[in-house]
Amino acid sequence: MPRQTFEEVVLPHLDAAFNYARWLTRSDADAEDVVQDAYVRALRFFPSLRSDDARPWLFTIVRNTWYGRFPHAMGANQPTVYDDMKHDRPDDSLDPEALVMQQQAVEKVQRAVRELPTDFREVTILRELEGLSYKEIAAVVGIPIGTVMSRLARARERLQAILGPSATPMGEPS
Amino acid sequence: MICFEAGRLLDAFVDHELGPAESADLQAHLVSCTSCSQLLADRESLGRLVRQLPYYPAPDQLRAKISRMSTRPRFNPSLIAWAAVLALAVSLGGSVEVVRFARARQVVETTASVAAEVVGDHVRALRDAHLFDVRSSDQHTVKPWFLGKLDFSPPVEDLSSIGFPLVGGRLDRVAGQPVAALVYQRRLHPINLFIWPAADRTAASDTRSIRGFQVRHWIRSGMSFWAVSDLNDAELGEFVRALQR
Repeated sequence: MPRQTFEEVVLPHLDAAFNYARWLTRSDADAEDVVQDAYVRALRFFPSLRSDDARPWLFTIVRNTWYGRFPHAMGANQPTVYDDMKHDRPDDSLDPEALVMQQQAVEKVQRAVRELPTDFREVTILRELEGLSYKEIAAVVGIPIGTVMSRLARARERLQAILGPSATPMGEPS
Repeated sequence: MICFEAGRLLDAFVDHELGPAESADLQAHLVSCTSCSQLLADRESLGRLVRQLPYYPAPDQLRAKISRMSTRPRFNPSLIAWAAVLALAVSLGGSVEVVRFARARQVVETTASVAAEVVGDHVRALRDAHLFDVRSSDQHTVKPWFLGKLDFSPPVEDLSSIGFPLVGGRLDRVAGQPVAALVYQRRLHPINLFIWPAADRTAASDTRSIRGFQVRHWIRSGMSFWAVSDLNDAELGEFVRALQR
């Protein structure tokens, strides 16, 4: 079978790469720079790609590029100003009142995720938005699978603590 | 099952990452424990909220830039570098030379990128105190540990007789690929030895110093080796020669 090209294998994951970078950097401009640099590196490293699935591989490169550009950013947790809500996707099957409540809950969770420490934020995004398995997250972040599990658990506990019982309607403080 | 254990497994259960036996145990516990099933319900409703977070698609101008980049030849030279290549090509007279110099330039760039990556990995492993996934001075423990974790088998040598004891190994990533990282030690200086199949287009050998770290690279028996340490160049050279013997 002829080897697939960069355009076929890596280009289709551009949205995923940008989404991940956008959540890491919390800025459109920085995310664009990081993704562009990451693609330059991905193109260079493409001949040595041995895996079938380029997506975790690309995430690793995005992460390293970001870490290389903003070495102080990792582990740091400066809360940033909360800006736009333009990307929200409300569920239009709900009635107007429920819609408003849901909108508020999503806004609140968005703010909470943005302000999570980087370690927690990135595993949350890779798991919940990108749908990576624990094994894939472990490879991207460079941590053991057990650490992926405990990091996700701690991130979720933190989110639940911030959001309180009102955002998770069934929840009661335990 | 006790609640403590159930709490530990809850996230893996929500994420469908639990094995069938553990899942069954946990489900049996949930039936009889209201506080743990409440925790599960909380996790599930949090998950539904988080999955509605905005997904940021790549902006059009970025997509255009990257499409242009990937359909062009794969170097991205500065004007000065191209001028130099052209001047050389003209002086040597021949299009063969142009191709050869363009390739050479790409090899130089790739070698520099990989060198920067392995130094980054070395620094990160030390900073995160995550030098080992397997801690052993026995090559017959370290080598089989990589089985099933990599699609190649890295050579693992014991160099304790010449003062470089093996201390362990771990999986790491270079250029987005899983690689073997062996850790040797001289006095208090750790040496990271990265190994992977030599498919990338780096130079056949390289010696450089990056931010105070010594880097040595060579290719042997189809494997690419990169040694990184804060050790002085002479002693790292001794280490490398021992491996090349």
